[in-house]
Amino acid sequence: MTEKKISYEAARDELAEVVAALETGSATLEESLKLWERGEALAAICQEWLDGAKKKLDAVKP
Amino acid sequence: MFETSSEAPASVQVVTEAIKEYVDRLGPIWVEGEISELNERSGMMAFIRLRDPSVDMSLSVMCHKSVIAAAQPLPANARVVLYAKPSWYTKNGSLTLSAREIRQVGVGELLARLEALKSLLAAEGLFDFDRKVELPLLPKKVGLICGRNTDAEKDVVENARRRWPSVVFEIREVTVQGAAAVTEVSAALRELEADPDIEVIVITRGGGSFEDLLPFSDEGLVRLAASCTTPIVSAIGHEKDSPLLDLVADFRASTPTDAAKNIVPDIAEEIEMIEALRNRARRKVSTMIELEQSRIINFRDRPVMKDPHVIITSRAETITAFRQRSHRSFASHVKLAKEELVQIKARVRALSPQATLDRGYSVVQLANGDIARDAKALKTGDVLRLRLAKGETNATVNAMKE
Repeated sequence: MTEKKISYEAARDELAEVVAALETGSATLEESLKLWERGEALAAICQEWLDGAKKKLDAVKP
Repeated sequence: MFETSSEAPASVQVVTEAIKEYVDRLGPIWVEGEISELNERSGMMAFIRLRDPSVDMSLSVMCHKSVIAAAQPLPANARVVLYAKPSWYTKNGSLTLSAREIRQVGVGELLARLEALKSLLAAEGLFDFDRKVELPLLPKKVGLICGRNTDAEKDVVENARRRWPSVVFEIREVTVQGAAAVTEVSAALRELEADPDIEVIVITRGGGSFEDLLPFSDEGLVRLAASCTTPIVSAIGHEKDSPLLDLVADFRASTPTDAAKNIVPDIAEEIEMIEALRNRARRKVSTMIELEQSRIINFRDRPVMKDPHVIITSRAETITAFRQRSHRSFASHVKLAKEELVQIKARVRALSPQATLDRGYSVVQLANGDIARDAKALKTGDVLRLRLAKGETNATVNAMKE
C-alpha cells in the first residue's frame, strides 16, 4: 500500500477537503460515495498516525 | 692577566688576589631584589640572600647591622633596592655585595611599576577580550596550581566535586608567595599546559598582602600564562585584589569557590535542566497530538462522515418531495375537473326541457332522433318517440291531416 506513505498533514488536509466537498453536496451520488470512502480511508490513516505517536510518547513516560 | 699552564699553575693566593683586584675596581651599583634570608646572628654584620623575584637566581649580600636598622621595618620577603659594592672574600673565594644603603621599595612605587607593566601588556593586546578562550563545559582533567594544604585548594576541589563528583584534578602544590613563587608556579603551569588531557588550569591562592600577591603580577609569569593554549582560570586573593594574572586569564574567578563553579557544571542543575527540557518537549508533543486528535474527531463527527446515509437520504428526500409535488399537483387537477363537471351538470340541468315537460308538453322525436317540428315531413306509419314528463313511449302516425 503506497497509501501508508502519505504524511499525517497531507492526509488531514485531504480529509478536510473531502469533508468540505461532501458538505457542499454538489457532487453526484456516485462521486459522493467515492468521496465518503476516501474520507473514511484518510481518517483511518490519520488515526493510525496519532495512535502511533501517542504510543511512542507513552512508551517513554517518566 | 698572567700566563698559566699545567707546568706553571698559579697559586690559589695569586688567583684570589687577582680576582679581588679586579672586583675591587668595580664601582658601587644599585640592585633590586627580594630579601629571602636575613641573618643577623654574628657580630656587627648582617647577611642577606637577595633573590630575583622572577627567576631562580640570587646574590649574597652583607652589610653593617646599622644599615639594616636604617631600613626597618623590613617585612619578610621585602622588595628592596640596595646600593652595594661587589667585594671578593679571599678567605673562601666568594663574591658578596657589600651594601651601604638599603631602601625598601615602597608600595606606591611597586604600584606605579605594576601600572606601567599593565599599560605595556595592555598595549601589546595581552588582555584583549578576543584572546580569551572559552572554558570547556566539562573538562576531561582540571589542572590546579595552589599552595600546599591551603584553603584555596580545598575550596576549589571540594566545591568542584560537589557539583560534578567525577571531576579529575591534576594538582601541583607549589610555593605561592615569596621568592620561589614565580619560578614554581611557572614550572607547574608549563607542565600542566603540556598535558593534552588537561582542558582547564586553575591558578589559585588565598588572600594576602599586596606583596604576597606580587608574584602573580610578575611579567614573566603573566606572559607565560598569556602564551598558554589551555584556558586559565585565576582565583587569586579576594575580589578587590587584581594581580595582572587576573587580566590575562581566560576567566577571572572572584574566589576559589567561584573558580570551582566555573570549571565544572552542577550535575543536579544539569539533570534538572534536561528533565525540564524533556517535560517541555513531551508536553508540546502531547498537546499537538490532542489538538490533531480533536481535529480528526471533528471531521469524523460531521454528519456526512458519521452517517453517510445522508448522502442517500438527502437525495431520497428530494425524490419524495418531487413525488409529493407531483401528487399534489395531480390531485388538484382532478379536483378542478370535478368542480368543472358539477358546473357543467348544473348548466345542463338548467337547459333541460324537463320543466316544460312537467307543464304537460311532450317532445316528439323521429326515429333518427330528430325532433319532429313539421307535420308535412311525416308519413303514415312513421314511428314517433314521445318524451313525457315522466318516461317515454312510442306512437305511430295513422293519418295525415291536410
